[in-house]
Amino acid sequence: MPIISIDDQTIDVADGTSVLDAAASLGIEIPTLCFLKGYLPSTSCQVCLVRDQASRKLVPSCATKAVEGMRIESETAEVHAARRTALELLLSEHVGDCLAPCFFACPAHMDIPLMLRQIGNNDLHAAIDTIKRDIAIPAILGRICTKPCEKGCRRSAADNPVSACELKRYAADQDLASDNVYMPPCAADTGKRVAIIGGGSTGLSAVYYLRQRGHACRLIEASSLLGGRLRRETEETTLPRDVIDAEILQILRLGVEVETDHRIDSAAEFESIVASHDVVLLAAGVDASVLAAECSIAVARRGVEVNDTFQTTREKIFAAGGATHGKALFVRSAADGKEVANCIDQFLNGQVVTAPVKPFASRMGRIATEEMKQFLAGAMSVPVQTLQVAEEYTPEQSSDQSGRCLTCGCVAHGDCRLENYAARYGADPNRFGSRQRVYEVIGRGGRVLFEPGKCIKCELCIQIAAESQDALGLTFVGRGFNVQLAVPFGGTFDQGVGELAERCITACPTGALYFDPRESSEHIHGKHSQE
Amino acid sequence: MSVDLSFVDQCVAEIGDRPEAVIPLLQAIQSHYRYLPQAALQRVCELTEITPAAIQGVSTFYTRFRHRPMGRHHIQVCRGTACHVKGAGLVEEAIALHLGLAAGEDTDPKQQFTIEPVACLGCCTLAPVVQIDEDTYGRLSALTVTPTIREFERRVRLQKSAKQSSNNNSADTVTRAKEVIEKTGEIRVGLGSCCVAQGSGEVFKRVHEVVAAIGCNVEVKRVGCVGMCHQTPLLEAIRHDGSSRLYCHVQAEQVEEIVRQNFKPVGFASRLRSSWTHWVAELYGSEIGRDTAIEPVSATTGPVSEFLGPQKRIATQASGDIDPLDIAEYQRHGGFVALQRCLHELSSDEVIAEIQQSGLRGRGGAGFPSGIKWAKVCSALADRKYVICNGDEGDPGAFMDRMLLESFPYRVIEGMAIAAIAVGAHQGYFYIRAEYPLAVQRIRLALAQCHAKGMLGDAMMGSDYALELSIKEGAGAFICGEETALIHSIEGGRGTPRIRPPFPAESGLWEKPTLINNVETLSLVPWILRHGGSEFAKLGTATSKGTKVFALAGKIRRGGLIEVPMGVTIRQIVDEIGGGVADGRRFKAVQIGGPSGGCVPAVLADTPVDYEALRSVGAIMGSGGMVVLDDTDCMVDIARYFLRFTQDQSCGKCTYCRIGTKRMLEILDRICEGTAKKGDLNALEELCHSVSAGSLCGLGKTAPNPVLSTLQYFRDEYEAHLNGHCPAGRCKGLIEYHINDACIGCTLCAQHCPVDAIPMVPYAKHVVDIDKCTTCDTCRVVCPENAVQIVKRSKK
Repeated sequence: MPIISIDDQTIDVADGTSVLDAAASLGIEIPTLCFLKGYLPSTSCQVCLVRDQASRKLVPSCATKAVEGMRIESETAEVHAARRTALELLLSEHVGDCLAPCFFACPAHMDIPLMLRQIGNNDLHAAIDTIKRDIAIPAILGRICTKPCEKGCRRSAADNPVSACELKRYAADQDLASDNVYMPPCAADTGKRVAIIGGGSTGLSAVYYLRQRGHACRLIEASSLLGGRLRRETEETTLPRDVIDAEILQILRLGVEVETDHRIDSAAEFESIVASHDVVLLAAGVDASVLAAECSIAVARRGVEVNDTFQTTREKIFAAGGATHGKALFVRSAADGKEVANCIDQFLNGQVVTAPVKPFASRMGRIATEEMKQFLAGAMSVPVQTLQVAEEYTPEQSSDQSGRCLTCGCVAHGDCRLENYAARYGADPNRFGSRQRVYEVIGRGGRVLFEPGKCIKCELCIQIAAESQDALGLTFVGRGFNVQLAVPFGGTFDQGVGELAERCITACPTGALYFDPRESSEHIHGKHSQE
Repeated sequence: MSVDLSFVDQCVAEIGDRPEAVIPLLQAIQSHYRYLPQAALQRVCELTEITPAAIQGVSTFYTRFRHRPMGRHHIQVCRGTACHVKGAGLVEEAIALHLGLAAGEDTDPKQQFTIEPVACLGCCTLAPVVQIDEDTYGRLSALTVTPTIREFERRVRLQKSAKQSSNNNSADTVTRAKEVIEKTGEIRVGLGSCCVAQGSGEVFKRVHEVVAAIGCNVEVKRVGCVGMCHQTPLLEAIRHDGSSRLYCHVQAEQVEEIVRQNFKPVGFASRLRSSWTHWVAELYGSEIGRDTAIEPVSATTGPVSEFLGPQKRIATQASGDIDPLDIAEYQRHGGFVALQRCLHELSSDEVIAEIQQSGLRGRGGAGFPSGIKWAKVCSALADRKYVICNGDEGDPGAFMDRMLLESFPYRVIEGMAIAAIAVGAHQGYFYIRAEYPLAVQRIRLALAQCHAKGMLGDAMMGSDYALELSIKEGAGAFICGEETALIHSIEGGRGTPRIRPPFPAESGLWEKPTLINNVETLSLVPWILRHGGSEFAKLGTATSKGTKVFALAGKIRRGGLIEVPMGVTIRQIVDEIGGGVADGRRFKAVQIGGPSGGCVPAVLADTPVDYEALRSVGAIMGSGGMVVLDDTDCMVDIARYFLRFTQDQSCGKCTYCRIGTKRMLEILDRICEGTAKKGDLNALEELCHSVSAGSLCGLGKTAPNPVLSTLQYFRDEYEAHLNGHCPAGRCKGLIEYHINDACIGCTLCAQHCPVDAIPMVPYAKHVVDIDKCTTCDTCRVVCPENAVQIVKRSKK
């Protein structure tokens, strides 16, 4: 029973135990992409490197057996740098977007592809849940948004962007018209009180998300109606007032203390609100600067001065939306409301307040014509259906239109070990230059799809498929930088993995091998043949 | 296209149906069909235990296997180091141009020729080298490509018509010569691969003809490599009085004169006939005139003695004296004495003690003490053990092992047999790379001889020990020189290495304890056991004992294969043995250790040949490639050359090597093309250290060495490249051709330019159209006035 030390903690392990497992017993999680318990370590990813003090060499912990007296370093700067470099090398040949371009284009960072898939599956309840995680007022924005998402939509380079905004509106309208209007769950009351000054897009959104976290909200609006610029700067024809009312009502249903016709114009009054609340949020648009200046809150050229966590120069006073940067897109204001709610929540919970983090993402950037064909092959080829004012999609149209989505994002997003470790180790996907490999999806028409650009050559699926009696199996073809996973003799991936498809796909550390996310691939291809 | 698969069935019946039969089966199928038809592979899977995944994986791993039909003739362009520095790139481009190959294609539209780059043909002293089918052509340039291919085509036509008439003649003369009974003289012709490429085969044949025609009592003998590749074809005449005369650069037409000078015809009739024809020929001024007169060279003074002087021959003992395949002659030179002793007198422990005492370290590159390795395998408990002779010599610029296998097959076999007995193995494999057909053939014949004479097999040499040795041929993968990859290859898998420990000494072939030694290491073993370990240990330095064989090539006057005692300095090798660099050039550096080694600059040339000393200057002993570089060699280009090699040869298993070497190469490409950014040098250096530290096996761990050592000693050249200047005028992206005022308007350059970049204007100064120029260097080579200059490129 060898005794070894890892980062100066000693442990007695069974003979033949790997350093990786020994570390796990000590609570040290060594990252690994290519190792899976029950299979031979392929020692390919080299992300699980640790340093052996005796030989002063980096060794893969998955295949290094613990031997008596071994001293291992895991959580040191040198080892972390080596792991990071391995991840960065893997990312340098990675072809794929962790998140679709529309995710980054949308100021509210809504998961548009997920919503589209849910609408396509006619699961509108799931769709509104997805939408409202990031956007509190989708029916409103669905009518007035300038649609930055469509500018980011990859499909706009092929024909026309997916009508994500209209489809969002469709889902929101259907929800509002239903008997069972969507209602997010709210956490139990925290006992904290937040005063929100300004009942426009920002303030309303902030209230919506603060209430879900269990904080009491007092919404103070200078005019007689909530809505702010939504009422002042839009036309009834584009944005019917009953839609505004209906959607605000959904926010207020969460339990909000609302004071309209209440303009706070003196420092004294402001200070009394500050005194009686745990946090005050200034969300009164451009008017807020005047009040702020009177209350000795620093004001910059564009508005109230805030740091990247929306905190003003005064303790417990936050500001967001037009108050900080002047007039902006409605969707920007709504997004600010959501983000400031997060920061306030952290503040109220006594946590370190962090700026909205930009998620780690491998990104493909510009794509070539051939690559576009690969994307289009996975989507419906129906043309875009533009809507006139006050016109709505039929359920069938909504399904078709959402099917136009190229699903640019990765199916493994969130579950991908490469993505997660890259985020953890701060890997820079562009350290070794821009991508050179081509985006490709192999296996269309079958159940199992393979994206060579996401494969990290871990060998797990090869090992698993080899256990099958019936499957054709998988193998590496070629050598060196050009080595690629393939099915022998030009077989399909369905044939390659056979009945072990599920296991192979689950084992895949990235999103290289996956089931076609479309419910029925025949459905798509049926549409193709009609063209 | 339908393929007749009956051959496959026959192969499987002969070779076997176990998973490890996959590589021999693929080799047989490929040599039959000239590529691997998918139907044939599928048939193999039907008939054997080999799975589709295995056959597909293996057949795409090794570069010798083709999945597309091949042209009628096979042109292999050597990309070895020596060839590279002597312009192999230009030759390759010229061949592609001659054949009219489209980009990405390797076969011409008429399906006549398939061009394929090979890592190294091991004929470094003839660089640049191309092999067309069986024929090797050396010292090529862009200019001689077309005539060479035409010459080849002419020979093919001739052979065809010769076949149609009669093909018995040559065989006849050889047998007749063998019938001469009493022989008092001997003519030796070196017949290593490179000698043959230089025309030794023709000379050998001609000697037979002449001796038969004149009728003199002379034994005509094929001997192995003499090492003096710069002097080939080499002929040695041992006269009746026992004195010897050595002739260099012998041409077939000179053979008759040499024979006459040294030997008298036997018997009156033939003497008369001979002198009559000789007299007539002289009278009519035939080919035996002044032009072909040839003088022997002295072996005691001058270049030959300088070349041979500092050498000490152990692995290459009796070089140039013995017929590689004559087992009796090997025995006369002390062969199998050591094996006999090991079988009958010495215990395993005593044999291993001798090896330990000798201080012998592995000659494959890493220099691990052989005695310790042997002892480890010996003490391992297992029902079976194996020995493997690693003959997968893959370093470009290294051909020592090929020469030893070709010239001294019995010595290597004896060394291997001793190793097997010492560790208790009863089965052994020679793993020899496929690029060495002559070595494979000679070992095969030698093994058959050994079995026939009872040196191997059951009850070998009258003992109760049984030993079977056989050959496994490689299939074109440098990585298989790595011992764990080599084992995977013998087992019938993709040649990917695995993590060590466990070392092969504990768990090797079929997970049994396995001793793996390099060819040269094994060839030193018989000498050590004959003379004693302490005798061997007297040679060399404190930590590096005995001798080392080097392949000396590159920009040197006298290239060849040399064996020197450890401890001689690089300068002694370059200046004394090699005779220094060519006229007017400056000795710049020596590349030692190939793709895992480094460049030792001229200022450090007093570094001795010693494992530790070489490592301390950033190189390694390596397997023994030594390429001399002069001031026309660009060090960045050299670094890129080696990295391109390792990147290409990476097995692709681990991240650092698979992607890291690629990223390094991209940076080096940018530097050589003049598109590098300022930060690239640091990025390259960082990446070097990362790849070194993070790669799984030796290939990746040492791949950055050529870059690191050139960065260490020649950083100024890298920096010059960043500023758009290649000081040696090598990097195509940074140079252009310019014709200066010395031009006399002879139009030669314009006539030879393959892309019409020089308009023909007789009697006027010519001008190169930079936009059309492909920098093939032809104009500079043909210019009689040295008017073509390489200058810094003016625009991007």
